[in-house]
Formats: sequence, C-alpha cells, structure tokens
Amino acid sequence: MNLAIADIETLSPGLKRFTFTGAELPWAGPGSHLVLEIPGAERTRKNAYSLIAAPDGAYRIVVRRVERSRGGSHWLHDHARPGDVLEVRAPQNFFHPPRNAKRHLLLSAGIGITPFLAYAQTSGLVYELHHCCKPEEAHSFRALLPQGANAVLHTNREALNLHGLLARQKLETHLSICGPESFMDHAISLAKSLGWPPAKIHLESFGSANWGNPFSVRLKRSGITVDVRPGESVLEALEAAGLNPPCLCRGGACGECRMSVLEGTPEHHDHYLSESEKTSGKSMMICVSRAITPELLLDF
Amino acid sequence: MNKSRPVYAPFKLDPSGAAHLIVTSLAAPPAGLDDTLSEVEVWTVARTGPGIPVPMVGAQRPFRSRTELLAQLEHRLGRAAIGLRLYAIGSEAFIWDAANIAVAAGMGHGEIFTHQAGPRLRRVYCTHCRTMIEDVAVNIAPCPACDAVLSVRDHFSRRLAAFMGVKVDAEVPGEIPAPEEFAT
Repeated sequence: MNLAIADIETLSPGLKRFTFTGAELPWAGPGSHLVLEIPGAERTRKNAYSLIAAPDGAYRIVVRRVERSRGGSHWLHDHARPGDVLEVRAPQNFFHPPRNAKRHLLLSAGIGITPFLAYAQTSGLVYELHHCCKPEEAHSFRALLPQGANAVLHTNREALNLHGLLARQKLETHLSICGPESFMDHAISLAKSLGWPPAKIHLESFGSANWGNPFSVRLKRSGITVDVRPGESVLEALEAAGLNPPCLCRGGACGECRMSVLEGTPEHHDHYLSESEKTSGKSMMICVSRAITPELLLDF
Repeated sequence: MNKSRPVYAPFKLDPSGAAHLIVTSLAAPPAGLDDTLSEVEVWTVARTGPGIPVPMVGAQRPFRSRTELLAQLEHRLGRAAIGLRLYAIGSEAFIWDAANIAVAAGMGHGEIFTHQAGPRLRRVYCTHCRTMIEDVAVNIAPCPACDAVLSVRDHFSRRLAAFMGVKVDAEVPGEIPAPEEFAT
C-alpha cells in the first residue's frame, strides 16, 4: 500500500520518528513491523521497522541513522520529507508478546527499544524493561521510554547487572530481547547458563549483520551466479538479479527464506536455525547470513 | 496407537537446569540420579512420614500423602526462581496433577518432565456424574457416586489427569464383561 509520511520528528542527531498515515490502516499488535520500500541511487531498499505503538490512524516508527547505512536509513534521515509517499507492506508480526507469560522481562539496546515501546502500551502486559544505550543518547531514549520504575535506562551495558537480573526472575516470567547481535548473543548465552529454557527466550533481530566480505552465490535450479557485495544480503542480491525468493521478516527471525546449502560454508547470523542446524551448515537464512567460503551453491 | 496417551521418556536429569526438583508418588527416589549435578531435591510420599511440614532430610523430603506433597509443590513453585526443572515420577494421575500445578506456576516446555512409574493404577473420571475414582486397578469399575458400572477407556485427559470411564452396559443393561488388569 502507498502511505504518506505525515510527520518527521528529530529525537536526537541519530534518531527520527516517522508517522505514516493512510486510509484504513490494517491493525497491528505489539511486536509488528513494517517493511518500507526506500528509494536509492542504485536500487530500492526494503527495510523492516518495528511499530512503536498500536495504529491509531497512523503507523509510527523510530529510525536510527546507521553510520554504515546501506542506504535506507540515510535516505529516511536526509531526504525524506513530510508528504513523501512510500510503498509500505502491511504489518507482520514475528515478535508478539508470548501469550502464556504472566510477566515479561524485556531487554533492549540501542534502536532495539522500538518493539518494546509498543509492548509497554499494551494493557494488562506486566513487564520490567531494561534498556541500554550510549551516554550521549540517554536523553533521547529517556524521553521515549515509558514512565515508571519498571522501565530502566542503562547508559552502558556494564551498568546493567544482567546476571543478577536474569537469575532472580520467577518461573512465570518470559524473556524478550531486541538489540544488536552482540547484545542478544550475550544475553541469550547468559540466560541459558542460568537455566532459562529456550521456550522462554524470545528474540527480535534486525539486519545489522549484512556487512562483511563479498562472495558469490551459485543457484543450482535457477542456473545463474549472483555476486553478493559487502553491505548487501543474499536476499537483496537475488532480488536485484530479478529473482523472487520467499521471505517475510528480512531479519533472520521467521524462517521463511531458508535455503539449502549444497556446497560451501555459510556464516550464520539468524536466530531461527538450531545450533545443530547451524553447525551442519546444510541450510541458511539468506536474509541475514553470509558465507565463509568465497562461493556458496544454493538449491534455488 | 491411542493419541491421547502420553509417551514417557526414561527419567534423567536435564543438565541445562540450574536446580532440580524431583517429586514422586513413590516412597523412594528414582534410580539413576546423576550425582554430578548440584541443587537436586527429591520429594517422596512415604505414608509413615512425619505429619507436619518437614524440613529436608539431606536432599530428601518425605510427605505423608500425595495431597500434602502437591499442596507444598504449589507453594514452592510460586517462590522458585527461573532455571528450575521439575520431574514428576509415579502414577499418571500424580504426574499430571504435578505438571498442571507447574503449568499454573508458569513452567512449560523444557522445564517439566513426566515419567510413569510404579503400579499401573488409574484415576478414572465418571463421565456420567463427574466423580473421580482413585487407584483403579482393572478396566471395569463401579462408580461410587452414581449407579454406573464403568468401562475404563485408554482415553487420558491431561487436564483432569484421569482416564475416561463410560457406562459399560449402556447398550445391553446388565451385560458386564469380566474385568482385566491394565497392561499399560
């Protein structure tokens, strides 16, 4: 659907809030994201952004201007103007609050706060939110964070006693994590070492892992070879080559874009495959994962 | 294959847990306890155990009845920290009672393990008057509350932790087959 940018607010030098309006916006629960098609010099970028609130006649997102942007966030920060119309896909949700949780422990870092802003406004959702950010952004995030003692801002990751926090939770608590890959990996491994069952750990990642070395992908059934550049995902390279591989979340969470790896070794960045599936190297999520070997042969 | 019958894996401790609570309707702890793990507690039902809430004797805590054990379990899980694994061992009625208490306390997949052990006795739910009949040993059982003679089906309800009992002579009143012991 085509949606117009109704408003752009600068929250900090690196953060802007965008409001999109349109007729008859589909409902979207907490944890939903939009995929925006963002114009670029070479090609259109498709970037996913979490909604920070339930739709109230508008969709609201917060976008960080990523230094090593692949184009999407720079365009939104530097070129987008109120009144611009973008192609937006209806919201999808791969990160809704776990239904059987009586309490939610929410951990976020940086721009990973966005889905939890929607969680915090959900009535009846009992939560404790811990957000980590850089000291220079504390002011902006404090303004975004919900009021109350159950939402805590930490200006560096060491200030948060993650071990104590994870160890003292009750059985009725579920853990949800959103942030950069290193933050999530640290929190996940700490939680598992404290006995958290995987079924109570919920993750939302976003495409931060797409930087890396160039490599090429040979497609067995399509019969072509596609080069994947640094800052580009396999999914994007395939789309640029005119292919239409299945995908939904574009963030390594939903499992839709899984592909069989016939030759070569993938470098996994997703949170979908199990550890043993990752070790076997027989399949990969092409939206976020890359290659260790110079070439991969995929069954597509 | 009866789809309503749960399948039980052999008992073993899950090393990913930070603490382990074993509850059994039997008098003795299960064989094969992994003594390399710390934080292991065993609750048993010994009919001659102390009659008041008791402290641990070593890592073992005996209760006088399943009812007393399950009441304490609810209390205990309400205070427990994440990382606990619960193992319920014994009759199917007992282990699913314990599992249901654990689910109500917020435990779920990967935290609750059930293992059938001990005599093949069934809790039977009279589908005609909703009475629960404990420790039924054979497949034909009279309901003590209504006048139905029940056929104990293999249909197990995890919610009720009971097998369904339906009137055995509904079609030909008075025609009651000879009872047989349960094989499983």
